Amino acid sequence: MGLVESGKMPKSLTKLLNMSRRYSMWVYQWGLACCAIEMGAAFASPRYDVMRLGVIPLPASPRQADFLVVSGTVTDKMAPAVRRLWEQMPDPKYVISMGSCANCGGPYWDSYSVTKGVDQIVPVDVYVPGCPPRPEALLEGIVLLQERIMNEDMAERWKGDPIVVE
Amino acid sequence: MADIPEHLLKRAQAAREKAETEQPVDEQPSSEPAETDTAVAVVEEEVIDVDEKAEKTLNKIIEGLGEKVLSSHIAPNRGLWIRVSSENWRQTAQFLHDELDCTFFDWLSVIDWMPSPYGRELDTEQDIEPEQDSTEPEQMEWGYTGGDTRFQLICRVYSISNGIGIMVKADLDNQSPRALSLIPIYPGANWHEREAREMFGVTFDEHPDLRNIYLPGDFEGHPLRKDYPLLSRRMKPWPGIVDVEAMPGEDK
Amino acid sequence: MSITTENEQLAYIASQAADARVNVEVETDEGMTLNLGPQHPATHGTLRIIAKLDGEKVVAAEPIMGYMHRGYEKLTEVRTYPQVTTLINRIDWLGSFANEVPFILAAEQLMEVEAPPRAQWIRTILFELSRIANVCLFLGDMAVQVGATTPVFYAFRDREFVLNQIERVTGGRFHPNFDRIGGLKDDLPKGWIEETRGALDRMKSFCDEMEELVLGNEIFQARTRNIGVIPGDVALSYGLSGANLRASGVDWDIRRDANVGLVYDQVDWKVWTHPDGDSFARFWVRLQETREACNIIEQLLGSIPSGPIMAKVPRIIKVPEGEAYVATENPLGEMGYYVVSKGDLTPFRVKIRSASFSNMSITPWILKDVFVPDIISILASLYFILGDIDR
Repeated sequence: MGLVESGKMPKSLTKLLNMSRRYSMWVYQWGLACCAIEMGAAFASPRYDVMRLGVIPLPASPRQADFLVVSGTVTDKMAPAVRRLWEQMPDPKYVISMGSCANCGGPYWDSYSVTKGVDQIVPVDVYVPGCPPRPEALLEGIVLLQERIMNEDMAERWKGDPIVVE
Repeated sequence: MADIPEHLLKRAQAAREKAETEQPVDEQPSSEPAETDTAVAVVEEEVIDVDEKAEKTLNKIIEGLGEKVLSSHIAPNRGLWIRVSSENWRQTAQFLHDELDCTFFDWLSVIDWMPSPYGRELDTEQDIEPEQDSTEPEQMEWGYTGGDTRFQLICRVYSISNGIGIMVKADLDNQSPRALSLIPIYPGANWHEREAREMFGVTFDEHPDLRNIYLPGDFEGHPLRKDYPLLSRRMKPWPGIVDVEAMPGEDK
Repeated sequence: MSITTENEQLAYIASQAADARVNVEVETDEGMTLNLGPQHPATHGTLRIIAKLDGEKVVAAEPIMGYMHRGYEKLTEVRTYPQVTTLINRIDWLGSFANEVPFILAAEQLMEVEAPPRAQWIRTILFELSRIANVCLFLGDMAVQVGATTPVFYAFRDREFVLNQIERVTGGRFHPNFDRIGGLKDDLPKGWIEETRGALDRMKSFCDEMEELVLGNEIFQARTRNIGVIPGDVALSYGLSGANLRASGVDWDIRRDANVGLVYDQVDWKVWTHPDGDSFARFWVRLQETREACNIIEQLLGSIPSGPIMAKVPRIIKVPEGEAYVATENPLGEMGYYVVSKGDLTPFRVKIRSASFSNMSITPWILKDVFVPDIISILASLYFILGDIDR
């Protein structure tokens, strides 16, 4: 529409778009280690049921996904693949880092082969602590991400500049 | 570098000192004569029936291999160790496979007997860096059945029909540690040998494919060697240190 | 993160790009090279397989691991004995408690300490509960890999009841860190035994459900019968253990034949074997073992002896000099720890013999001359956990 690029978005329109984005998120689940099972419990088990939050798990490819859950230990060998798949996701994209390992290296803080935090490779929006976090904790992380999306100024975020990792 | 609050450090220090002073007190009750006597008695009972099986197997091995067995060790009820030279490594495995029916390949690995130059006490916050000129070889102590060199191959095979596992050790040359691959006898040794090569730099002759199995191709060094440093420990203090808290019932 | 390290990081990533290329489908005159993974829905974890194909047939397949290598063996050398259990919990993350037991038993052997009977009983119960929690997910997952989506939801649903019971004792759903040298951290909570019986009933009905839903299914049988056959002697020479070995007709179970420190000799139970050695047999054996585990726990629940749960051990644990190897029959197969101690607070060297590493080492052999869809069902039936392969 050109409105977003020009930086002039009516507030009510922003709100409407944000709300619809917030409740229809496709998640690409990057299950790496122990946390992947808790993520599976959150996404696939009837007890936690993530779909009631408007999150749809299991897209066929990262190109359809709105946000990424990195759950588990990222090793130096895996890091390039994480980056690569994140790059394939279309903007706007968000990242939830789940578990101590993805946050900062966790129990492997002194290991020779573990990346000390996925935020060295991709920008992270929400960190979910725990080793592994309970499924409820992941659900709370998703709710926090939804709140963040709701309060987002779309024009601010998409002026056309690519997002740079800091 | 993470900042540890002053009060936490103090508390940790106090707890450590307390633990140190208490340690001998705690150990005393366990060395009461009455208790140790019964414990020894129990162990001795078990020795008799288990020794037979291990002893018999060891006799068979010595019968078959003769001088090639450099030394052996039997830990009652726990296992049987033999040591051979690295030239006889494959022959020994062949013998165990054919004559003693050790068809189950359990695992293969290497032990680096050099004491770690980065020794770390529980109390220190960071790894001790080795002094620059401390190049003289430190005293090495070997485990069961002794040894002569820094690297020792160890392999465990198991005989299901006899119900006994045998641990075979072999000294490797210090300068170029190498041995013959066990793949012709146990195909399962393939990945174990790749792992040993990657982690310790031990070469296996006649191995078809000694690529890295875990680490990326450009990784330098052999991480499980004792002189390989864990760099993160130099940069950050040990995070566990702030967790030392007084046990319930203890005063602060 | 400073600029230099960032540059280093980027250079490092660039140098890795060739290693981690996501699509390497190359078509040449000799055939096609197909890449699966490292992140692939059907490899439950970050395993990568590169297969050379001739039409639909696999000429050679090569698994590439290391995407989950976390360096346990090095890290155990700089942690004290109680700290090591926190770490090794995470090797096989589906049956965490079972990972602690062999290490603790090895340390106990060196210290010549024996856990009191009540602790041994509870250890065995928790050990088998973690087996159920682990294998339960396999039963669901295996069905997913051959095309049935529903069973995995059932598995996740019923697994929660077992996890609840583990959580009520240990405080952790996943990584209990409950085992101590000389016993256990705590006693059982009140009313736990009755609740566990309820959870076991639930699990038994889950097994029945899976049997009706999956085992007799025509598609499932067509995808698994006579697929991926491993003869017994080949399985032995590759070091396969656990249900994979028993599905090849080898009647060997560490719980029965080389039991250390757990109380399986107090229970009346059966080792299940299957002569076929195919994917179907591996599924069948695991299903029976889940039932058998329920049976073992039920018998043990009725006969827990009273008494203390901790033997007398010094407050600061120093393990005397020596070497010990203890293996137990973990959900995935034989898991053992070779502990070398020099009398310090930390182990001198720990060799971790994990089941999946040996189980997976047969893949280049077994994936030869199979069809592409069978790669998935064979891998699923071999049942590996990435943390257990890469450690």
